[in-house]
Amino acid sequence: MSPSNGKFLDSTELSQLDDSSKNEMVTFLDNETSKQKVQMSIHQFTNTCFRNCVASANSSSLSPQEEQCLANCVNNFLDTKIRVVKGLQHVKE
Amino acid sequence: MVFSLGRSKENDEINNTASIISKPSPVESLKNQVQQELALANATELVNNITDNCFQKCLSNPYSDPQPNCVDQCLNKYLKAWNTVSKTYIARIQDPSTSGEI
Repeated sequence: MSPSNGKFLDSTELSQLDDSSKNEMVTFLDNETSKQKVQMSIHQFTNTCFRNCVASANSSSLSPQEEQCLANCVNNFLDTKIRVVKGLQHVKE
Repeated sequence: MVFSLGRSKENDEINNTASIISKPSPVESLKNQVQQELALANATELVNNITDNCFQKCLSNPYSDPQPNCVDQCLNKYLKAWNTVSKTYIARIQDPSTSGEI
């Protein structure tokens, strides 16, 4: 994409944004940041759980066992995370 | 329309409409830019993860002949796994009884 279609803003244009536009951008960026955090977690879980649950790639669809394993893997990972956080809070006290 | 050197209200409206059509507002173009960069980052992450996983599952053994369809099958399987993980994770974080802890 070329800058002429308005994709890239220069700093003078940015500093000219009025307050309501700035607030709109803050809300937008907060939303996008939360969405992106979820996306990155899904990338991480898929990477880890695919490695553990999918034995071979001799079919292009998931078996029911593999599907169950992936769901368990995600839930176990999150349970572990909660346990670790609680454990560390306990250590701190 | 009467020709005039000054700015009439009508001309301003025409100019504003034209500028909306030809060039998005700074906020909209900034939002588009952010979304395009996020999409690119997500696509890159996906390509890297699929390549790692499918290389390992399909081609890591140099003594056996590679299965011609393995990478394609692995790719499709990975995308299905992505959807399963996504469904499970989103269901879990939306569950009010557990979401506070994650």
